[in-house]
Order: sequence, then C-alpha cells, then structure tokens
Amino acid sequence: MLKIDRYAYTNKLRCVHPAEKLAFALAMLIACLALSSRLASLLVVLFMAASAVLRAKIPALFYLKLLLVPASFLLAGVFTVALSFSKDASLFLAGVKLGGCVLGFTAAGLATALDLFLKSLGAVSCLYFLVLTTPAVEIFALLRKLRLPPLFVELMALVYRFIFVLLETAEKIYLSQSSRGGYATLKTAYFSLGQLAANLFAKSYRHSQLLFLTLSARCYTGELNVLDEPCRFSPRNLLLSILAGLTLLAAGYCAEKGAGPFAR
Amino acid sequence: MPGKPILEAKEVSFRYPDGTPALKNVTLAVAEGQKTAFLGPNGAGKTTLFLHFNGLFRPERGKVYFAGREVRYDHASLLELRKNVGIVFQDPETQLFSASVWQEVSFGPLNLGLPAPEVKERVLAALSAAQVLDLKDRPTHFLSYGQKKRVAIADILAMRPRVLICDEPTAWLDTRRGKQIMDLFAGLNASGTTIVFSTHDVDLAYSWADYVFLLKDGALIGEGPPEAVLSDPRLLAAAELEKPWVAEVYEELQCKGWVAGRRPPRSKEELLALIGERGARGAELRKVK
Ligand SMILES: Nc1ncnc2c1ncn2[C@@H]1O[C@H](COP(=O)(O)OP(=O)(O)O)[C@@H](O)[C@H]1O
Ligand SMILES: [Mg+2]
Repeated sequence: MLKIDRYAYTNKLRCVHPAEKLAFALAMLIACLALSSRLASLLVVLFMAASAVLRAKIPALFYLKLLLVPASFLLAGVFTVALSFSKDASLFLAGVKLGGCVLGFTAAGLATALDLFLKSLGAVSCLYFLVLTTPAVEIFALLRKLRLPPLFVELMALVYRFIFVLLETAEKIYLSQSSRGGYATLKTAYFSLGQLAANLFAKSYRHSQLLFLTLSARCYTGELNVLDEPCRFSPRNLLLSILAGLTLLAAGYCAEKGAGPFAR
Repeated sequence: MPGKPILEAKEVSFRYPDGTPALKNVTLAVAEGQKTAFLGPNGAGKTTLFLHFNGLFRPERGKVYFAGREVRYDHASLLELRKNVGIVFQDPETQLFSASVWQEVSFGPLNLGLPAPEVKERVLAALSAAQVLDLKDRPTHFLSYGQKKRVAIADILAMRPRVLICDEPTAWLDTRRGKQIMDLFAGLNASGTTIVFSTHDVDLAYSWADYVFLLKDGALIGEGPPEAVLSDPRLLAAAELEKPWVAEVYEELQCKGWVAGRRPPRSKEELLALIGERGARGAELRKVK
C-alpha cells in the first residue's frame, strides 16, 4: 500500500494527464473483459506490465510481486472452477474415482479456468497500472470532474489521508509500547495490542474533532473545496489509448469469428 | 508606536465541557501591528484563548472584540472574523486534511470566495514565503514534521489575514528551522500583519516580541514590554518561568561593572556587541596607560 503510493508519485508517467492514464487503463480493461479470448487477456497482461515497467519505470521485481498477490488467490479460486464431477470417466485427463463418479480435471474445465485466470489477471493489471502511475489525489480530482457526488469524493479523499495519519499514530504507540517491553512475551503482546487498538480509536476520535476545529478556522462551511493542479493534457495520448483498446477489440472480434491471426 | 487594539478580551471566562476552568476573567488588548507573545507554562490557557480570538470558542462570560467591534457568532460574522484572524495550530497533523500540499493550501483562499486565478497566485506566494514551494507536488504524508509545520503556516498565509496567530510556532523544531519561521513572521510583520504567538520559551519572547502577556492557570498575571515583564523575578516565579539568559548574563556583567549599557540587550547579538565595545574600550585604556 505504502510502496504503491510512493511509486504513484515518483514514476516516470507522473506528469502525464491522469485522464489519459485512466482512459488507457479503461480501454484496456474493457477490451480485456469484453473479449473471451485467452490470447487477448494475455496480451493485456503483458502490455500493461510493459507499460508499467518500461514506460513508468516501476521496478520489474516489484511489479511481479504485486501481480503474485492476486495470482495466488486467483489460482485457489480458479482451481474449483477447473474441477469437474461426472459419471463419464473418458472425459477426464486426471481424476479420482468416488463411487460411480469421477472427480477431476477435464480439458474443457481446464480451459475455462485458464480463461478466467488470465482475464482476471488482465483486469487487475489495468488497475495496477492506474494506481502505480497516478497519485490517489489526482484520481479523486478526476472523479470530481466526472461529476461524482462531492460528498463521495471528499469522503474518499479524507479516508485516504487518514490511513496515513492512523498508520503513523499506530506506529508511534507501537514503538512506545515495545520500548517498554510491551511485546516481550505473548501475554504482554496480546495486552499491548488491545491497548493499541483502544488508544488508536480514542486518538482518531480526538483527531477528527480537532480537524473540524482547524477546518472551521479556515472558513469551512461544509464543502472541502480545493483547487486542482493544472495538468498538461495531450489529445494524442488519449487517442492512442482508445486506438489500442479498439485494435485489441477488433483483433479479438476477428478471433471469435475464426479469422485472422488470433483464431483459436 | 503601538497601534489601536485589534484583538481584545474583556473579562473572558471559559470552561471546557468536562468542567476544567481554562480561562479566568481575562482582560487584555493586542495592539495592531505588534509582535505579541503569550508566555506561560503548559496548561496556562494560551491555546484556549487563541481559539476565542478566531471565534471557534465562545466565552462563557465576557466578550471578545475584533478591531473595536464585538465578535458575534452568527455564520456571516464568523466567516468575516476568520478571514481577518488566521490561526496556525500547534500540531500540523491535525490541520492538514489533504494528501496534496497544493490542494491543502488552496482550501482557505477558495473558502474566501476568490476566483481560481487569484487562488493560484496566492497559493504560490504562500508556498514560496513559507519556503515549501519545492514540496508543492509532494503528498503531505511524505513530509517531515518541520515541513508539515511550514505547510500549515502556508495554509494561513494564503488567506492573507490581518492578524496571524501561531500556536507554539517553534515547538519540536530544531533551532535553525525555528529561526527561519520567526524570520518569516518578522517579514510579515514588517509589511503590516499583526503577529500573535504562544510559547514557553522565554528567550524567544524576550528577543523577538514587542509586547508580552504572561498567563498562568487561565489568568493573566502580567503584561508589558519584554524587558520590563521578563526581568521581574516575582512575575517570572509566579509564571514558573526562568529569566531569559541574555538578561541574566547582562545583569551579572553590569553588577561586576564590566559593561555599562544604556539599554539592556535583547538578543545574543546585541549582548555580544556590548561586550565587544567594552573590550575595544578596554584595549584603548591600556594603550593610554
Ligand atoms: N479539550 C479539552 N478538554 C478539557 N480540558 C482541556 C481541553 N483542552 C485543554 N484543556 C485544559 O484547559 C487548560 C488550558 O489548556 P490550554 O489552553 O491547552 O493551555 P496551553 O495552550 O497554555 O498549554 C488546561 O488545564 C488543559 O488541561
Ligand atoms: Mg497549547
């Protein structure tokens, strides 16, 4: 979470207009979801990885680790999709007999599972690209421009800011506890953790009260108006993103029709 | 040349909801254009008093005045007051609500109803005055404490108030950063802004302020120019404060007859200059003999 945030501010695509990055991620996301082509999903995964690593200069190892997080539980989820249960033993590539039936993997089941896995990974890649290259603040600004309800966006922005305040507070309490041996044994650790949670709640409550006071001091009247930073907007990038999505869609469409290089 | 009173409290008393009496019958006036320090130990009521000046707290008894007019607590009057009296809170963490430095500083001027180009100009000016212009694209959560503090000051600078109140401006800052902030305030003061700050650092108040108020346990126990208030041992003892070291060294030197000052020095530099003068004169005397 913290590392993603750090890259969002330091990556090489930081200065690209957030709308362009959003358009790119969305175009690829739509292409990935609309197509039921394994190859298209794989292409999206690879293309997004290339964009993040080569263009935005996110370290490849970090990106890989990040992909492994959803990949690991996607595998677990997809496993159940791959499993089939049937009387016809000839369908199965591998399986165990349970009474008169067979539990195992069929070719069709495995294919569906692979499709699902790649499609999900493709979708996740699109979102990763967005959050790795665009600071949350800019995403919020974009949502505001897209006329999402202000209350909703303000709330998101405040929650985002408070995550860091809370983390910092928790760290301070944790340090002060452990410096006095609060986590020396399992028993004291349980006790200290409970104290930390209770303390954190009390502190957050106090913090929110103080924040209201400090906002009021600056003429707060119920709306968190802020000025968005001007960003250079390049229609060329936007066009390219849409083109990339369309190309992928067209290619996938041809593949489904059984024509062209993407035919299954 | 003290100006007309800009902030006044008349017989102000205040108790927190839990019953803690924080201000007891406080009557005082801050003169416009002055650098005013509120000195007192922790819990003296400095923060509570500041929150009254900005209309955030309403006195239980007594009245608060801004520029000669009684503070009223309806919506429009409060906005008008807060436009003129800006307050920088002690802990920047509770003041910074946005993850973006730029957006954070734009909040105040936008609330004043200014058009976007003017807000932009003010944000840039405030950021550069507070020496944080280079941080404008950084998220607030990656800033150090001192940087956050300066962004919190820029927050208020961007609103261009007539009175800038700063609660413990140098607390938890290293000496150099603290000095930078006080220099910034001195500059603002030179261009007409009244500066009000709280501190428990007698040396700072002694060398920097034009006028000092001493608070203790919610009551005003003394006021006056720093060289008068901070050389009074009885007052200092009552406020649990020590004498400023510059004053102490000067008195000691004077007792020994080593320096003869027309006016007690206010800062280390003035004291050193005085000693230097004396040294030079001493050397001359020896030459004559
Ligand atoms: N939110 C609060 N609730 C109850 N008592 C408070 C609160 N804030 C401050 N006090 C009390 O009010 C008194 C004055 O506090 P404060 O104005 O913060 O003093 P100072 O800023 O000079 O350190 C202290 O006794 C303090 O304990
Ligand atoms: Mg205080």
